[in-house]
Amino acid sequence: MKKIIFFLAISLSIIACKTESKKTEDSKPQIESNQDAPFLALGEFDIKAGDFVNKEVKIQGIVDHVCKHSGKKLLVVTDDGRVHITSDTRFNDALTGSEIALTGIVLEDRIDESYCLQMEEDNIKSHTEGASNEEQFETKKQHIQQYRDQMKAENTDHISNYSLKYVSHIEIE
Amino acid sequence: MKQLRKWSRILHRDIGFFFIGTTILYGLSGIALNHLSDWNPNYTVELKHFKTLINLEKTADTKSNVLKLLDEVDKKENYKKHYYPNPNNIKIFLKGGSSITVNVTNGKGTTEYLKRRAVFYEANFLHYNPNKIWTWFSDAFSASLILFAITSFFMVKGKYGIKGRGGIYTLIGILIPLLFLLYFI
Repeated sequence: MKKIIFFLAISLSIIACKTESKKTEDSKPQIESNQDAPFLALGEFDIKAGDFVNKEVKIQGIVDHVCKHSGKKLLVVTDDGRVHITSDTRFNDALTGSEIALTGIVLEDRIDESYCLQMEEDNIKSHTEGASNEEQFETKKQHIQQYRDQMKAENTDHISNYSLKYVSHIEIE
Repeated sequence: MKQLRKWSRILHRDIGFFFIGTTILYGLSGIALNHLSDWNPNYTVELKHFKTLINLEKTADTKSNVLKLLDEVDKKENYKKHYYPNPNNIKIFLKGGSSITVNVTNGKGTTEYLKRRAVFYEANFLHYNPNKIWTWFSDAFSASLILFAITSFFMVKGKYGIKGRGGIYTLIGILIPLLFLLYFI
């Protein structure tokens, strides 16, 4: 029995003391699949992305955030703009703060009145079930109102949000 | 029936011993990940507020000024990158996932130190299925859970077995998720 407890204690100590994790596949530089994909500066991404929906583009920026929930979303930023990246596989959270050159496929997310109504319904449901607190509920409510205000101001029936579906990336030193 | 009971006990016992570590690992990370909205299961976050007189506005000297700031509030060796989320703020990334945000107008800043939670970080890493080998192992673990459920029918006979108290517990255990589904779907 003493040996078992000793073995468990040693195992836990090794895990607890280990601070640097091994790099996963996601953190290794990857070969870009399409060398000819056009480069979009993040400052002009929202303006030009509409011309490249479902096509590959390249961007470059700093990873501001790796989604702590799924690990499959990135926020890549520069001084002039930002873009959300989604992936089927998890990113290594050590990417946070790294500058990367990334290739991805442009996705368009259309926000219109029916989308807003669905968001409202989901927000109320989530709040009623206790999944979101008062602050989160109000923030989402304001967010939906902002969409409506923007559509009204731009005199349009929808807003296009563009993001990228991850293909590959390389880290820039 | 005797043979079935004998083998149920053997499998339940031996495979159970084999998967003790995995069961604890999935149990721990299961609780941790169930409460994502309440805490960060992978890191502890420590905030430190400070004020600096160093000019961090966007100029040709920004990087050297950022390194000076790091000498004040952290270590310049920890510098990774920086950018301006808006003209009034600079965000500086440090090695290890920590970051510093400074209002360049009034010099007020906050350092967000991230530190990995021992055991939880590793348990959550595995829970998120990091690669194919682990997929096989965790599939084997999941299959063993089904085996545990089946073998438990035959392990004990009499009033504590499936025909007695064990059966009542089994029914209650099945009814709870069913009632939950009926209510929420």
